[in-house]
Amino acid sequence: MINKEQSLEAPAARPSGKNAQWTRSTLARALFSLALVLALGVVFPAEGAFFRLGTHQGAWRQASVVGILACGLLPVILAGGIDLSVGSVLGLSAVVAAKLSIHEGAPAWLSVFCVLAIGATCGAASGAVVAFARVQPFVATLAMMVFARGLAKTASGGTKVATAVPGPDGALHYVDVPPLFRALDAQVFGGDVAAVTLVFLAIAVVVGFFCARHRIGRYWYAVGGNEEAARLSGVPVRATKILAYVISGLCAAAAGICQAAQEQQGDPEAGVTYELTAIAMVVIGGTSLKGGRGGMGLTLLGILTIGYLDKILSINAVPEASRLMLTGAIVIVAAVAQKNS
Amino acid sequence: MLRNTLGFTRRGFLLGLLVLACACKGESKGGAAAGEGGKGGKLVIGMSQCNLGEPWRVQMNADIAAAAKEHPEIELIFKDAQNDTLKQRAHVEELVAQKVDVLLVSPKEAQPLTEPVGKAFDAGIPVIVLDRAVLGERYTTFIGADNKKIGRAAGEWVKKVLGGKGKVVELKGLMTSTPGQDRSAGFREGIAGSEIEIAFEADMKWLEPEARKEMDSALARLSKIDLVYAHNDPGAHGAYLAARAAGREKEMKFVGIDALPHEGVSYVEQGILDATFQYPTGGREAVETALRIRKGEAVPKRITLGSRRFTKEDGKKGGEVIE
Repeated sequence: MINKEQSLEAPAARPSGKNAQWTRSTLARALFSLALVLALGVVFPAEGAFFRLGTHQGAWRQASVVGILACGLLPVILAGGIDLSVGSVLGLSAVVAAKLSIHEGAPAWLSVFCVLAIGATCGAASGAVVAFARVQPFVATLAMMVFARGLAKTASGGTKVATAVPGPDGALHYVDVPPLFRALDAQVFGGDVAAVTLVFLAIAVVVGFFCARHRIGRYWYAVGGNEEAARLSGVPVRATKILAYVISGLCAAAAGICQAAQEQQGDPEAGVTYELTAIAMVVIGGTSLKGGRGGMGLTLLGILTIGYLDKILSINAVPEASRLMLTGAIVIVAAVAQKNS
Repeated sequence: MLRNTLGFTRRGFLLGLLVLACACKGESKGGAAAGEGGKGGKLVIGMSQCNLGEPWRVQMNADIAAAAKEHPEIELIFKDAQNDTLKQRAHVEELVAQKVDVLLVSPKEAQPLTEPVGKAFDAGIPVIVLDRAVLGERYTTFIGADNKKIGRAAGEWVKKVLGGKGKVVELKGLMTSTPGQDRSAGFREGIAGSEIEIAFEADMKWLEPEARKEMDSALARLSKIDLVYAHNDPGAHGAYLAARAAGREKEMKFVGIDALPHEGVSYVEQGILDATFQYPTGGREAVETALRIRKGEAVPKRITLGSRRFTKEDGKKGGEVIE
């Protein structure tokens, strides 16, 4: 009993030596995967482009949107679930953000608030179906994935929501890109860091704090590790699960705003298959899909591994067919390396 | 749980289809009877679209609807196969069962749709195939544009504005698709014989975020870029955003393809793109052809649509016709 109490309140100092060893070796393997990918960049620097600051800034910027999705997925996966709806919620959020801030001219805070509320609602809906109706997370979030995509297409009227606004007579007139989008698409710190990267890092820090330092984080690990034991120890299992999905929805909404800002439009098709990349990022870091094991540090390494792989293949102008094969091969190498731990 | 859910959905879906089929059947019967009776009868046109995820296909349906609006006797039935070949096959068969007067179909793939389209043709329904062809000869007419010709026109225009030399980035559509291959091959024919060099080429899969990513890489590698040629307008727009983020958008020109009113043409009007080349949907021509068939006129087996070039100057007069 004492052991259980400790593991609920302080997973960072797990009593079992085996677990501590697991954490160390998983971290080492995640670092190995990232090093492997970076070495690829050193060997194939694309006429020196790999050694330029702009390339790294670009790699981080491009990984940011999917990285935000991965940050949101982490609590869900830790709690033993999965969220397939994040790509669609991203698309829905992008459309609503564009609709509000471009077409309606809503102030930035209002657009952000509304979009986050929609994301949280989507997450809460998936979470409630999982927690109360006991539908498998895969099925519940698959349904949300389809539903949210449909909602995105309905809200946008099937076309992209851009700065060319159709009037009542069908003629187009042009409006400025809203300040919210300009701010998020800007480069800060003398142009060295993209604003979306800062958003991504801020979200990673917040979610990471909850996972590692807050009581709710202990609950996620406990529910993912052994749901029955967690319930018997007094963990509010349903609320814990729902909160994980709400965070996933909130992150997907934030990612949607970032996506819309970078595209300067709300595309109802945005984010298709992003959920798979985000799940790959979490898993390559070493977080177990079975739940209960993993963390934000590992997830960040996973995000960077996939992000840099993407960038290195891109600067070398590797043809699409070879890219797919190389990505598949490297994901397998990383996954097998993690499997041994 | 899963089986239950799916079973329920399928049943609901079938029920919906049945209701829809009954409703449509009644209408098309009336149309056919009136048609036999002589002039002034209804003309029921069934349109099977392979997907409405692409704005260009949304525009095609809109063009068909707009053209049909001018003829009150036309009644339209739209079907969206959501990029599912088998679903489209079922849609074609449904429209045949409803005995539409003319069948329009823009197939997702040639091979699997050749047979259902052929059956409709054999059953005496005039079939107009749009944009993507089917195999063989069992259809009335094919209406489509020529991607290679459009690519060549883009290449020739680029050769002219760059004065015959320069570094070009080519952002390609999906290179496993015929439009991607043709737009690339045509462009290369167009710039042939000049000193224009394609310094960076990448597959952006028709997607704007991918185009921005690839353009970032091109900017990292090349210290000077004179022009970006993207196989569609969203791709060119993504490239522009990447160049602007790097502060280099003034250094180069941006050229796209498709020229949809609220995409490419509006980008040109806003000064984001320098030119876009129209890939016409053929929606209006399809309706006009359907009316000609109804009147008993002979129509050619293949109608190739003309294209237009939109630049800031040409745009004001609705684009420059490309020969």
